Amino acid sequence: MPRQEDTTEELQRRKARFVRALGRSTEKVLHELEADDRRPATMNRFLDVLRRAFLSGEEVDGPALHPGQKVIGTYCIMAPEEFIYAAGAVPIRLCGGSYEAALAGDDLVPRDICPVVRASAGLTSFGLLPIYRRFDAVIVPTTCDGKRKLGEALSDFLPVWMLEVPHIKETERSRIEWLEQIYAVKRNIEKLTCRKINRKTLREAIGRIARAQYQARRLHELRSADPIVVLGQHAMLALNAYAYDTVDEWAGAMTRFNDELEQRRRQGRSVADKRAPRVLLAGSPVVFPNWKLPMLIEEMGGVVVIDETCMADRLLYDPVGVSEGSMTEMIRGIAARLIMPCTCPSFSPNEDRMYRLRQLVEKFRVDGVIYHVLKGCMIYDFEVARVERMMKEAGVPLLRVETDYNPEDVEQLRTRIEAFLEMTGAKKSEARCESNEILCGN
Amino acid sequence: MRMSTLRWTVLVIAFIVLTYGGLVGISLGDFLPTFACWYVGESRGGDCFLWHVQHHFSGHGGPGYLVRPNAPMLLYFFLLLLVLGKAWCGWICPLGFIMDVLDLARRRLNMGYLFFSQRLRARLAPIKWVLLFLSLVVPLSCFPFFMRSQIASDLSQPYCQWCPAKYVVPLCVGNVEEIAVNFRSGVGIFMTAVGLVVAGLFLIGALTKRRFWCSFCPMGLVIGLCRKISIVKLKKNCQACTRCGICYNVCPLDIEEIFTERTRTNVTYQDCILCMKCIENCPEEGVLSATFCGRTIYRATQKGFFSNPVASGRRARQEPAVGAADTISADEGEPVLSGSRPS
Ligand code: SF4
Ligand code: SF4
Ligand code: SF4
Ligand code: SF4
Repeated sequence: MPRQEDTTEELQRRKARFVRALGRSTEKVLHELEADDRRPATMNRFLDVLRRAFLSGEEVDGPALHPGQKVIGTYCIMAPEEFIYAAGAVPIRLCGGSYEAALAGDDLVPRDICPVVRASAGLTSFGLLPIYRRFDAVIVPTTCDGKRKLGEALSDFLPVWMLEVPHIKETERSRIEWLEQIYAVKRNIEKLTCRKINRKTLREAIGRIARAQYQARRLHELRSADPIVVLGQHAMLALNAYAYDTVDEWAGAMTRFNDELEQRRRQGRSVADKRAPRVLLAGSPVVFPNWKLPMLIEEMGGVVVIDETCMADRLLYDPVGVSEGSMTEMIRGIAARLIMPCTCPSFSPNEDRMYRLRQLVEKFRVDGVIYHVLKGCMIYDFEVARVERMMKEAGVPLLRVETDYNPEDVEQLRTRIEAFLEMTGAKKSEARCESNEILCGN
Repeated sequence: MRMSTLRWTVLVIAFIVLTYGGLVGISLGDFLPTFACWYVGESRGGDCFLWHVQHHFSGHGGPGYLVRPNAPMLLYFFLLLLVLGKAWCGWICPLGFIMDVLDLARRRLNMGYLFFSQRLRARLAPIKWVLLFLSLVVPLSCFPFFMRSQIASDLSQPYCQWCPAKYVVPLCVGNVEEIAVNFRSGVGIFMTAVGLVVAGLFLIGALTKRRFWCSFCPMGLVIGLCRKISIVKLKKNCQACTRCGICYNVCPLDIEEIFTERTRTNVTYQDCILCMKCIENCPEEGVLSATFCGRTIYRATQKGFFSNPVASGRRARQEPAVGAADTISADEGEPVLSGSRPS
């Protein structure tokens, strides 16, 4: 596959610059995470996965790949990974989170589009990371405008399968059309891997992913524990690492991670102050290494008890439901799990998201919502007003934070987040005083 | 025990009791709200409600006869409806059992299933009303018009002639007499010929569509109409539902409302057979539940969901968790097209 970087020397040099800068900033984030002694020891495995993907020049999970095993990139959680595993291939989630990659992508996509798309374009077109040079095809679900056009832009570099996601999921017609799309992806994957996906392999793949989902849900439950046993930045990182790991390895690592958190809970160990405001991080995806927002929130004394991003809590939340295990049922189940419970704002109407957020606020006893808007991410920004109205009704304050991958606005964000957390913190202790006179006797 | 296993157990026991119970003297009554088919003969352990209704309506005492001497029997019938409601369909009906067995055969044959779109479901809905009309009004009207003529006798059990149970259930006791066209009269020929066609369609339908006949069944309709007074109910906590659609996909009756519902707590719909598959497969804690007399008897749990042998990827073990890496070996699976690349 001829790539852009091979054509001229200038390009090669630019690429090398990007790679160096990307390496430096990624290393910085990893270092900061490693220096934090509140992190569970079992988190190291996830840090390793990310380091390997971003820094060490090794291919994805090198040893786990058989020679000739196909790698299929996915640009959204709406891509059916079950088929990829069932066909003996490996999926990698490719959404980019790096500032340097976003800069590299500027040649290919408009500068006003969101940084996820810019970074993805940069990573893929330049093949900045080893894993981006490894895959045989990518699946691009047409969720938002950015992703849709990204698919077209990437098709100059590698085989792209567009997966047309319906924007209205309520109607039966769109569900049936979606099911057809899912069958088409299945055929594409079978063709690429030269393997027929049959009942046995699909069933196995669903089971393997279900094991990871079970652990992801365990983490979801553990994050709701009081006292708080894990910081949001750590939990989210562990989930993010799934993108670059194989499902079984990740599930194993997650089991140990959860076991450690479980132990913390039994010992009553807490990683945060009781009075720390419990934050729901909503909105645009937080993609490694763009870790500034969760880190800032927790540095300023808040705790991200839960998030609703598609690279963390939502990544593995919804399983495939199967009762009889026939092909029809499994494929319908996969099709349903990909879009029906999905609260991505690319769906309209998106009442389901409001329900979901309400559930999260209640279950995680959230004190404040920080709503992340990536510059250029129209659809998440569009819904901020609705979410704010709803939160107002629930009596939960909301802060809209618009930013991109550029590290330069950190100071400004810090001030705003600090003020917000102080306000929610004050509100929280007030509420505690009202409900419990003795507690605020001091 | 998993709910589906329990349901199968009850279904098998009910089938045995209702089709062979008579051999050991079991008789559960003349008015059972289920297809305990009369044509099974002496070995049956109870009687189908519809048979007696048609029998009395068509002149064997008239409709009044159904009520007066049978008042205690009718009371019994309503009591049975009250206590079990639609669970008669999901857990007891012998024809339902046969459909589930055929369904199992379909799975063994590696076949998928057809599902009815909502539009098709709506279009098919009148059929059961027509069949109910057939079983109530035709016997009532043929009595005064034809008195004791041949036509009246051939029309006396009109629905039974078209009921797949009449042809299929007796087979289970080795009775093949019913599988024949009645040549006594034109009416007889017509009714039984249509009935045989229906029975054929039933077999094909049950092999390709989950609980095929239940979408057309007048008995299910009658039970469904009484679902409001029944004390078994399917409940949903709409606030906590994620609308994942799993309940809809596993529902043998393709009831869409079960997952789209966002306001009502009571989700026992007309077609629902209370098989509880939706509860068993709902991954959200307590979102779907079955209540008996207002008390929750079964509820959806996350743990229950992940202990599903298919969903968890293992057959026997309960805990789906610990991720022993089972990597796929490269030589598994069969080639489709070698060396081709999608463009
Ligand atoms: S043929 Fe059908 S309606 Fe008639 S007695 Fe048998 S089961 Fe009942
Ligand atoms: S609806 Fe189905 S289960 Fe119920 S009586 Fe009719 S055939 Fe039997
Ligand atoms: S399975 Fe449960 S959570 Fe999913 S749509 Fe049905 S009721 Fe809602
Ligand atoms: S709604 Fe639930 S209980 Fe009723 S038929 Fe469907 S799966 Fe069975």
